[in-house]
Amino acid sequence: MSLLRTEGLRASYGQVDVLLGIDIEVNEGEMVVILGANGAGKTTTMRAVSGTVARGGSVVFDGIEIVSESAEAIVRLGIAHVPQGRGTFADLTVEENLRIGAYIRQDSVDSDIARWFKTFPRLGERKSQKAGSLSGGEQQMLAIARALMSRPRLLLCDEPSLGLAPLITQELFGVLKSLNQEEGLSVLLVEQNANLALKVAHRVYLLETGQVVASGSAESIAGDERIRKAYLGG
Amino acid sequence: MLKVKQGSLAHWAMRVACVLVVAVLILYIPTQSETARIGQFASAFTLIIAAMSLNLVLGYTGQISIGHSAFFGIGGYTAAILIRDHGWSPGYTFYAAAVIAFIIGCLIAMPVLRIRGAYLALVTLAVAVLFPTLLRWKKLEWLTSGAKGIDSVKYDKLPVWPILGELKGRDGRAVFAYWLGLLVLVICFLICRGLVKSRVGRSLIAIRDNETAAAVMGVNVTRTKVLIFGISASLCALAGVLSTLSTGVVTPDGQYVTLLGSIIFLLIMVVGGAGTLSGPIIGGLVYVWLDNTTRGIGTDSRGVVGFIFGWTNQSPATLILGMALIVIMLFAPTGLVGLTRKIMGRIVTIEPQSQ
Amino acid sequence: MERLLQYVFDGLSFGAIYALLALGLVVVFRGTGHLNFAQGEMAMFCTFIIWQINEWGVPLILAVAIGMLFGFVLGAGTEATVIRSVAKKSPGGVFVVSIALFLGLNSLATMIWDRAEGYTMKSLFPNKDVDFVRILGAEWRYKYIGVLIVALALMGLLFLLFSKTKFGLAMRSVASNPESARLVGVPSGLVLASSWGIAAAMGALSGALVGGINGQLTPSLMFSVFIYASAAATLGGLDSPGGAVIAGLSIGIGEQLVAGYAPGWIGQDLKLSVALILIFVVLLVKPSGLFGSLKVERV
Repeated sequence: MSLLRTEGLRASYGQVDVLLGIDIEVNEGEMVVILGANGAGKTTTMRAVSGTVARGGSVVFDGIEIVSESAEAIVRLGIAHVPQGRGTFADLTVEENLRIGAYIRQDSVDSDIARWFKTFPRLGERKSQKAGSLSGGEQQMLAIARALMSRPRLLLCDEPSLGLAPLITQELFGVLKSLNQEEGLSVLLVEQNANLALKVAHRVYLLETGQVVASGSAESIAGDERIRKAYLGG
Repeated sequence: MLKVKQGSLAHWAMRVACVLVVAVLILYIPTQSETARIGQFASAFTLIIAAMSLNLVLGYTGQISIGHSAFFGIGGYTAAILIRDHGWSPGYTFYAAAVIAFIIGCLIAMPVLRIRGAYLALVTLAVAVLFPTLLRWKKLEWLTSGAKGIDSVKYDKLPVWPILGELKGRDGRAVFAYWLGLLVLVICFLICRGLVKSRVGRSLIAIRDNETAAAVMGVNVTRTKVLIFGISASLCALAGVLSTLSTGVVTPDGQYVTLLGSIIFLLIMVVGGAGTLSGPIIGGLVYVWLDNTTRGIGTDSRGVVGFIFGWTNQSPATLILGMALIVIMLFAPTGLVGLTRKIMGRIVTIEPQSQ
Repeated sequence: MERLLQYVFDGLSFGAIYALLALGLVVVFRGTGHLNFAQGEMAMFCTFIIWQINEWGVPLILAVAIGMLFGFVLGAGTEATVIRSVAKKSPGGVFVVSIALFLGLNSLATMIWDRAEGYTMKSLFPNKDVDFVRILGAEWRYKYIGVLIVALALMGLLFLLFSKTKFGLAMRSVASNPESARLVGVPSGLVLASSWGIAAAMGALSGALVGGINGQLTPSLMFSVFIYASAAATLGGLDSPGGAVIAGLSIGIGEQLVAGYAPGWIGQDLKLSVALILIFVVLLVKPSGLFGSLKVERV
């Protein structure tokens, strides 16, 4: 069942067109990865879906056209975006970061907070510390937990492995994978670390200068010699 | 839609026509208008010079300053003190004021221009409010004459200039003030133009747009900022001297010596067009026109104006200015000059020469 | 000893007023990155509104409440309309607009309420000659005590808003990271407008308190208070609410001490210059103030 589908998605920064017509689909329960070189438009695609960049074309989420909706409305509809570089609230405590993640919810969030402290024990240990004092890996965990506080149906995750040690990266991807498999959380992932991404994803899109140049299941992309050589370092 | 090639005969003809129109206007005013109007223009020139000086620092280099009223005052007081207490001939006070203001400007700029944005605004605010308070300080009364200021500052006998001949009396003084103001204005304009169109001008704009990038490109940012601030202070002081010579008086509550003066300079610069050479000129003329036109508005007005403003006794000049500024910032941030250029751009395009 | 206590008592009340206005400056700066140059004049205008409503028969306390509400609408409305549009096109332009507001509100007030000698403003608190309490020899007038309590109460409410409510958390999140705030669904526009609204409301209260102490209401009422408040915000740190309060109270007390113990040197005229010199020195030595963070100006 299609959860997210973009058709001819365009996006621009001022006068510069960055996305030239992207067609992407994420089905319920899928983990989809967007690969590509720097500047290909991966982050922009994420921002176009979450409504934080000027965009055009069509973005349908759960049957609703959201290409003209505000970022706040899109969060309420069930999409959560973990931006590149974490984007934690450095001046707020870890617990406050989680609490504000659930801003759109009216019900009690204490049980959710307890749950994420269990999944990420290190966050629980530091719950009264200012987020800015956390390590890179901890901030990434915090950013993901914060996004999940709004109980989204689709999680957008932009380069979670950036600047992190391999061990932490594996831990993070393990959490994402289990959330996807056990709770059916749909994930759209942008990654530079192609090998790791291909291991966890169901399907892959390859972006180059604002357009999709290849797509398919993770196995087929991983097995394709030409693509391996051109984009994945052989 | 006219298309004109740059450098062609038509282009030159256009420019010559503009210059001729301006020249005719400049000559017409002092010879054909009444004294009051001549006086208005003279005070407009003073304001324009002050706005041009601020433009160098704020419009081109992007450094916020609401402290320029202090330099205006330094100029005015320097002239007054030199003339009254030391018997100087007024003409030389221009040079003294320029030098003193330059030094003080550089001294202030050195520590201050490391700061940016809101913080810089606060510092210059402090300077602007501190200056008149210092003037009133009892311990400095030996120099500044405290709150009552210095008066009878003027030319005992107006110098005789070629063409103008000998000028006498109130009318003569007004005409002289006009021509003196115009002379200083032209000199300041040429200085500004020379700076802006040179390499210095480009480094100023580079600093305004991105200081770090400018430094990387080889601009000595600190030295440039300090020097341009010093020059700006000098020019503003010249305006102060002019003002004092025209009115004959300088006081701590004087029109442009207080914070209000800084605000008006800023206003003029923005309304005219920050970062343009002719912006302050247009802005100054508009301001003086507006100020004089609205002065009479009040309970005597009739018609539409009376309807809007008839209920008050006060002149709505500053209110109109404030609102005009907001409108400009909302709809024409490049000021009147920018707006005019856009409109002219629809009528005539200057095509660059093909290579 | 009584003299010292006297200066401290009086200074606390004035300081509390400076702190109130300074908090307004900090709330706007922290929330939006801009300095509201018109903070004092907005407060003055609201105070005139309060006076006017009171003249028309509304009891003073209710008039103050209405004035604060008016202030909130004025501040929020200004942000939502003018400030936001200008901020998009040129961040530096916001400062120019606040200067225009400074000028415009001042002229408008002068035009509407144009009696040269000003208007009599009633005090919220008992103000006859015998209305004071004697502590260790110093007189602490009721109206000064009242001002201190009201101002501290409002500041306390503000701190509660920020630390204990969801909306306060939302405001802090926008101040900390505006892009991420959008990503979690915080209505940034509402938050920005509220910052200006809260600041203006606090300004309205501080204007009413100043008017009550002064007894006399003119358009120049709040200018020197604005300078003191700017000094307090600078000293405390433009993005530190706690700093603004501590600095405000300190400047209030300090001003009384300086004017009291060194009248020959300083006297009335130069009291303000102490605050101005303070701004100058703090910004040159440590621009982030005593309690502010080292983030450079956000424009």
